[in-house]
This record gives sequence, structure tokens and C-alpha cells, in this order.
Amino acid sequence: MGTTTALSAHPRFKKAVPYLLITPALVFVIGILAYSVLYGIGMSFFRIDLAIPGRPFIGLENYRVVFSEERFINSFRRSLVFVFFSVTLGLLLSFGFANALYRVKKMSAGFRGFTLVPYLVSGIATAIMFRFLFSGTVGFINQMLMALGAERILFLGNPNWALFVVIVANTWFIVPFSTLVLLAGLQALDPDLFEVATVEGASKLTVLFRIIIPLIKPMIGISLVWMSFASFNMFDVILPLTGGGPGRATEVLAVYMYRIGFDFLRYSQGAVVMTVILVLNIAVSVFFLSVFRGED
Amino acid sequence: MKREINVQTIGNAVNKRLYWIPLALLILWTVFPLLWGFSASFKTYAEVYQVPPRILPRTLNLRAYNVVLESRHFFTYVYNSAYLAITSSIIAVFVSVLAGYGFAKYKFRFAGILLLLILIPRIIPRASLIIPLFQMMSALRLLNSYPALMITYTATAIPLNTMVLTGFFRGIPQALEDAASIDGAKLWQRIWYIIIPMSLPALVTVSVMSLREAWNEFPFVLALTTATRMRTLPYQLFMLRDAMGIEDWPVVLAFTVFTIVPILTFYLIFQKKVTSGLVSGAIK
Repeated sequence: MGTTTALSAHPRFKKAVPYLLITPALVFVIGILAYSVLYGIGMSFFRIDLAIPGRPFIGLENYRVVFSEERFINSFRRSLVFVFFSVTLGLLLSFGFANALYRVKKMSAGFRGFTLVPYLVSGIATAIMFRFLFSGTVGFINQMLMALGAERILFLGNPNWALFVVIVANTWFIVPFSTLVLLAGLQALDPDLFEVATVEGASKLTVLFRIIIPLIKPMIGISLVWMSFASFNMFDVILPLTGGGPGRATEVLAVYMYRIGFDFLRYSQGAVVMTVILVLNIAVSVFFLSVFRGED
Repeated sequence: MKREINVQTIGNAVNKRLYWIPLALLILWTVFPLLWGFSASFKTYAEVYQVPPRILPRTLNLRAYNVVLESRHFFTYVYNSAYLAITSSIIAVFVSVLAGYGFAKYKFRFAGILLLLILIPRIIPRASLIIPLFQMMSALRLLNSYPALMITYTATAIPLNTMVLTGFFRGIPQALEDAASIDGAKLWQRIWYIIIPMSLPALVTVSVMSLREAWNEFPFVLALTTATRMRTLPYQLFMLRDAMGIEDWPVVLAFTVFTIVPILTFYLIFQKKVTSGLVSGAIK
């Protein structure tokens, strides 16, 4: 104890205190996350093949191979479709939900907490739930169709329907967080603003498009970034739900990356796909954040 | 004139009630997928196939739960999940408290850059880390080990935790600590006796977030383990769905319920604090 007191009185030690406090966090984050990303990007320039000894540097050769593969191009396109529809549907739903939560007075905390429930459910469990909901034999939707005398739809056997189911499941998974972000945006607004505008004769739609949306633009930006991130990297929900199938109808980039890396053991080409996902993520978030910058 | 006002009030009243429609939709959208699965976990094997569908089971049939509880290694998976979630959350919260305190209460060189260094990895696609992480852990001979997963889960939880805690600690008045310092309180005493008790909502939030990360995690455990004894609940749920030819739906769903209930219970206990804490963390 005596030495500690002496030490802490020492000015140089005092200066070191904040660095010492943040060091463990830096070690974990840089050592695991940053290192992995840089290592992964590095891997994409080497030939890493278990069958061939050594790891020669081959420049952009892996990129050339991957980019010329039809399977990659298809999964790239599918990722864009998947993200676009997930994010659009997600924004519509979360905006509607946030508005409802903003207006509800009774038990508002309860409803808010309730909204977050899907956030607590794992991707795998989400996949199982939606597989069960849309199954051809045991799914609620098909059983209702059958009860009504309609034709069954084999959702998971049809490429377009399977993509639809995957998008719905993913949206279910990403909406809660976005709802809370938008709700926080609404709650930060001055309620008198609506009163004044309504008294002045502005219609509901005018209030929405001219007042509410411009004012919560930054929040819309954040929730779009968050939802597109989650969707580009979505893997937990798709793999157990469809496995990327039928055929490769739901094989988005993250699933393709897993297959190429762990089924074919083409690690360095998987690293190429990882780099592509990373670049897409950054590009999309820069885009959203610049479009949805606050007015001030 | 009088009538007009009346019509307007009625119109307003209707408009004000309109939020119930999206609210009802919200509840249906959130609950129905869970409810449909949850109820089926109590159905018999045949009842699941019954048309027209019944939302609630005819009787509370516990066969599926018995099958899950008696399945091989089930408690190993429960143990793995709980052990990894708890240890990695404790480490992640502890490390983030220190870092958050450092960033919130000190002015030092490179503070801004160092904070960014911790926060930016939050946006790194987690699934995309699996290939380099696999290579790294296999080089370190840590595949199929608890430390590999524990370290990874801790690292992925730290950025958001640090963000939430830094923001929260900044709001705690410095005067309290100054007074304690004059009385001779050391750094760790100030953190333990002043900062921690005043930050309980933020600490609850980051604990729930960290537990959720680790409890539900799938890509890392899929990539970093191959041994059956190392599987966590989500991994086994994935295998379960994969392994069965004709799916025994009530059993798969009962297993799913086992993975959801613990974390959901924990969340619901602290729900109010978590929702506000999460949002303040997400927005900054």
C-alpha cells in the first residue's frame, strides 16, 4: 500500500493513469477485432491452400478468380436485393411502430420493452421460428391456406418465396433496434411543433413529410446504417432457415463466404469476400450518413 | 358552427386513436412468430400437422421438453452457453468500466483517436471475422477451447459497452469525486464507491447486451469449434435442425424455447433500464 501511495503521488504515474485504464479494452479490441480484419485483408493477397505448402504472395489473383465466378456475382446481387428489401421494409415498419409507441400513453414503457424482444432472440432461434411459420406442412400460413381451401405455397422450395421468407425473418430480427432509435428521435422533438402546425392548417401528411421526417433525419440515417450492417452480415438467420437454398436462391455474400471458406477450405478467397462485404458496409454507411445528415 | 367543432373533435379523437392500429400490428408482428412456435412445443407430434391450425395446444403435452432434457449432452450445452456468456460478460463489463472511466474523466493525448479505435470495430461485420479468427486461433492452438470463444465474445462486446459507459460516466458530477479525493479516496475507491453505485442503469444495460451477444452467438462458435463437447445451445439447435430427416417439430421448438427463455427473463426483469440505455448508446 505504501508504495502505491508513493507511486500515485508521482506526476508521471498520474499521467499514465488514463492510458492504463484503457489498455485492457484496447488490447482486446485491437488484438482480436482490428487484427482479424487486417489479417483477413492481408490473407486475400496470398495463396493459402492446405494442399500446397507455403503461402506465396499472389497480388490480386484471388480477387480475379472470385470476381469472375458466377456464384460470387449472383450472391453479390442477391445481397443487394436482400439488403434493399430488408432495410426498406424495416424502415417502414420501425417508423410506424415508433410513431405508435410515441403516441401511446398507457403502459408506454411496457410496450417499448416489448418491442425489443426479437433483439434478445438468437438468429438461429429466429430462423427456426420462421421456418416453422412458413413450412409447407406444419406452417401456420399454409395450414390457413389449406383450411380456406386454397393451394399450398411451398415457400422454402421456391427460390423467390424463399428469398421473401428470409427477408421477412431478417426484418423481424432487425426492426426492434431501429424502432427504438427512431422513437428516441421523435421523443427529442418539441411536441408544441405539431400543435402549431396542425392549428395552422397543415395536414397530417404535411406534418409528417415537412416537419417530422426532416427533423429526425439523423436518426433515420443511424437506423438505416444499423439495419444495412446487420443485413449485409446476416448469416445466423439464413444458414439454419434455408442453408442458402433452394439451389442458391438465398445465398447472400456472408453465406457464400462461409461456404467458400469452410466447405471448400479456400480461405484466402473467402477473405476476398470478407473484404468485399467490409467495403460494401463502409460504402453504404457513408452514403446513408451523408444523405441523412442533420440540417444544422 | 357548433356542429363543425363537434365534427372536428370527433375527427381528432378518431385520429388520436389511430395509433392503435400500428400498435396492434407491432404486437402481432413481434409475438406471433414466437407464440406459434412456443405453443407448438406443447403439441403432440401429430397435432402439429393438424388443419385447420390451432393457435393453442389442446393439452399441455410435455413430451418434447422431456426429450430435450434427456437428450445426450444437453446439460453440457447449457453449461457451455452459460459459462461462456457469464465469464465473457464479466470480463467485458469490467474492462469497459475501466476504459469508460478513463475516457470520461481524463483529458489525455490521443484520447479522441484511441476512443475511435475502440468504437470503430463495432461496425466490423462479425460474420466476416470468422475466417481470419479461425486462422488465428488455429495458429495459437486454441480451436475447441473455452478461451478462444471467451476472448472473442469479450472483444465483440467491448466497443458498445465502452460507448454506453463513457457517455454515462460523463454525466456524473465531478464534484462528488473531488470531495472523495480530498478525503483521501484512491482511484479504485472512487470507481467502486461513487461511480459504480451511480451507474447501475448503464451497468445493467451493458450486462444485458454482453450476455445477449455471447448467449446467442453463432458464427464464431461454428467456426472455432468442432468437438461436440464444446457446442453451445445455438450451435446444437442448428445441428438439431440439420440432423433430423423428418423434423420432430415439437422437440426442435422446445429446444428453441430453452435457448430463448433465460436471456428473455433476465432482460424482462431489467427491461426499463435496458431500453433507454441501449438507445442512448446507439445514437451517440
